[in-house]
Amino acid sequence: MMGAGLWIATKKIDYTWRWNRVPQYFAYVDESNVPAPYDARVVSLTRAGGTTKVKLAGESGEEGVFEVDNDSLRVSENEDLFQGDYLGSTSEWRAGPLSVGLWNTLWISAVSSVIGMIIGLVTGLCRISNNATLRSLSVAYIELIRGTPLLVQIFIFYFFLGTVLDISRIIAGISALAIFAGAYVAEIIRAGIQSIPKGQMEAARSLGMNVSQAMIHIILPQAFKRTLPPLAGQFISLIKDSSLVSVIAITDLTKSGREVITSTFATFEIWFVVAFLYLMLTSVLSQVISWVERRLSISD
Amino acid sequence: MIKTVDLKKTFIGRGQTVYAVDGVTTHIKQGEVVVIIGPSGSGKSTFLRCLNGLETFTSGHIMIDGVDLAAKKTDLNLVRREVGMVFQQFNLFPHKTVLENIVLAQQVVRKRKTAEATEKAHMLLQKVGIAEKESEYPIRLSGGQQQRVAIARALAMDPKIMLFDEPTSALDPEMVGEVLEVMKQLAREGMTMCVVTHEMGFAREVADRVLFMDQGKLVEEGTPEHFFTAPQEERAKAFLKQVL
Repeated sequence: MMGAGLWIATKKIDYTWRWNRVPQYFAYVDESNVPAPYDARVVSLTRAGGTTKVKLAGESGEEGVFEVDNDSLRVSENEDLFQGDYLGSTSEWRAGPLSVGLWNTLWISAVSSVIGMIIGLVTGLCRISNNATLRSLSVAYIELIRGTPLLVQIFIFYFFLGTVLDISRIIAGISALAIFAGAYVAEIIRAGIQSIPKGQMEAARSLGMNVSQAMIHIILPQAFKRTLPPLAGQFISLIKDSSLVSVIAITDLTKSGREVITSTFATFEIWFVVAFLYLMLTSVLSQVISWVERRLSISD
Repeated sequence: MIKTVDLKKTFIGRGQTVYAVDGVTTHIKQGEVVVIIGPSGSGKSTFLRCLNGLETFTSGHIMIDGVDLAAKKTDLNLVRREVGMVFQQFNLFPHKTVLENIVLAQQVVRKRKTAEATEKAHMLLQKVGIAEKESEYPIRLSGGQQQRVAIARALAMDPKIMLFDEPTSALDPEMVGEVLEVMKQLAREGMTMCVVTHEMGFAREVADRVLFMDQGKLVEEGTPEHFFTAPQEERAKAFLKQVL
């Protein structure tokens, strides 16, 4: 029903679907001509698989071997060539803008997740420490980040910090995402640690462990297990939020999509594809985390 | 072994000052089994928790093997590894197997090699009678079994003294016996023990000395025969009338 409705609706506005134009933006064959670098004579042609090796002997004694695709070969043996004449062409597969964008989104999210996790862990521990300074610093950080929009933070990181500290857009983007995620992770970790019964810490301390040993061996592993579901949600959000870095001209998936649309006008198709690619990334992450959760549940 | 001098612990809450432990002076000797009894809220658990520094005390002194817990330069972690503690709620580490529960602190705190720690753990599990459960997670064990693992875990650190904080209060009645049996065996082996309990039978049978606490004060102390048959203080008489 919905599909039919959409089809009729797009029919009405005379939209021509061009799904066939989408694949080339993932990967395409790039052909480049191979010119003779100097005036020369073709000494020999040797076929090897799908390519032909063209051996040239230059007027002034240069020698060289060039490889071109068989079906693009334009010269024959003993032919005299001028500099710049094409011998043929080579073709190779290249990643299209959508693949590049997907890859960028993937690694930008991954790097900022890892940094965000570290920031969150440290802040979460500060948040529950006995040191009043650390505690209020972490509260200030969390409130500041949670209380302002990510988009504004990205602009501040790029236009203000980027200019003042002379950092590149990619570092500005990743820092903004990591620091944003860190504030939320900190609260998740704090809640996780506080949900562990006090007796666990007391038992660990009564065995002679100091606070950090007890944290590392007893409290954090249990807290980690409990916080996995909310952490998963947070990192899935981070993948989606990473689309905002396109506003500072980082070529992530969203920006690539926009670029492809400007050259194809296949607006509907590309946005669907972009949405699907985000969905793929997030569902892979969901799967991985639920696998870890199942692994950890053996002690339940 | 353990000496407390005028030990005081106060909680301040809602404008009221509660004297949880109010001037307790006593001396637990090497190899002695001391049982602390008293009504709920009499400060016996708090007193016990002060002995290994889980609770900070307000004033007074605790000397363990000549080390003063009140002194600033005392490293509580060093004291605690010599003082084993068994809790009412067992407090086993739920994410670790029975064996790992016993091995972990030996490795982390005593820096023992895995083989040595594992051997020790096997020996102790044998002793408390649950050798066959070593690869189970605590949740799959009954309360009595969990508490025996907790005892083995504390013993693995080779403590000089064992503190028991109501070790049988959270157990089903039929599991109480197996835990008390392990504790009696420890007592026979000459372990110095300080036990907070409501098990009067255990106190009468095993204790060398009984301390009776009420409202944070040490009201009466003496041998079990003396305490259970001819208590001097009115409060102790009233308590015994209720529980016996």
